Amino acid sequence: MKSTKSPLAQPVIGRWISYILRFGVWSSAGFMIAGLLVRWLSRATAPPPAENPTPGEILSKLLSTSIDDVTLMYAGLVLLMLTPVLRVLTSVVGFSVEGDRRFAVVSLVVLGMLVAEFFFSWRVPA
Amino acid sequence: MSLLSFLLLIVGGIATGTFGAMLGLGGGVFLIPFLALVFGLPMHQAIATSIVAVIATSSAGAAMNVERQVVNLRLGMLLEVATVCGAILGGVTANLLSGQTLTRIFAILLLFVSFTMIWRTRRSKSEDGSTAQDGAFPSSFKDEATGTIVSYTVRRVPLVMLVSLVAGNISGLLGIGGGIFKVPAMHMISGIPMKAAAATSNFMIGVTAAASAFIYFGHGHLNPFIASPAVLGVLGGSFLGIKINQKIKGTALTWVFAVVLLLVSIKMFWR
Repeated sequence: MKSTKSPLAQPVIGRWISYILRFGVWSSAGFMIAGLLVRWLSRATAPPPAENPTPGEILSKLLSTSIDDVTLMYAGLVLLMLTPVLRVLTSVVGFSVEGDRRFAVVSLVVLGMLVAEFFFSWRVPA
Repeated sequence: MSLLSFLLLIVGGIATGTFGAMLGLGGGVFLIPFLALVFGLPMHQAIATSIVAVIATSSAGAAMNVERQVVNLRLGMLLEVATVCGAILGGVTANLLSGQTLTRIFAILLLFVSFTMIWRTRRSKSEDGSTAQDGAFPSSFKDEATGTIVSYTVRRVPLVMLVSLVAGNISGLLGIGGGIFKVPAMHMISGIPMKAAAATSNFMIGVTAAASAFIYFGHGHLNPFIASPAVLGVLGGSFLGIKINQKIKGTALTWVFAVVLLLVSIKMFWR
């Protein structure tokens, strides 16, 4: 497959991807550090829940007043797992903006596989 | 879990992340044996923790490499189709296998990694890829070590896609990045310069790891109390390892780690 675009001429998409990756890594690290600090400071000893929370449950707990150490850690881990998905989404938009339809479609295929898997994998019976 | 265990996980994560980055292997190769042998964690949980740590280190590294334009974005996106398929298959397969079977497969992988490390120290250090312009995905990057612009094209794309499928499969199955398979293949089969091959492989690893991470998470193998400190430790360690790697170039060090991995492999096989 031959691309007509010069990869050196990709500063915009490259910058977007770089921002997304940095945001994902550092914000997820922030959530995990906050979760560990809350656990140590509150001397919590509760074990993790038997079933993983859904993204909706994590989000609603983060927005409520009943935020706890486990929710913060899960938020960090899920955000970290979603960072590459956001990166692929950025590629779809970036390649579309650059007018490179072929690679926008390739990125869309990868995104489709990840999103489908994300929904199918959630809460599989152990 | 006690404060001591948390601290041990962070320190262990830093150590495994540092060693992994120093040797260009990623943290998983060291983190999984550490969690399985030192913490006695079930193999599926150790793999799940490692795969999330791999996402963190890959994303942090890729952010820098993309900005420096060393990553071949279009090639990376195309190969991700193969690595994601492989990772999904690997993740599903892993959850059908017993912990003991996975441990033994991982031990064999460590044996392979150990011999590859020794082989790398013995081969001549040819860093150049093909500068032929008759392939696909023409790309250029500035080699910061020499200050020159390196231009190359990619040959035998279908073959390197096949290798990416296998690497993705092993990544999903065993919780490692898979760069140890992809980078030499991209360099030797497709003629991609080593720096571009390593950066493009690292760029793909986050997406590959995310594909199988969802499966492990869905099966409840990701314990937030284990994963959070370990991931933070590996992330910090990987930055440390890159800094040390710029100052130390030791063949003897590679030999020491190769022998350590060989011993760990034997220990894990008979676990």
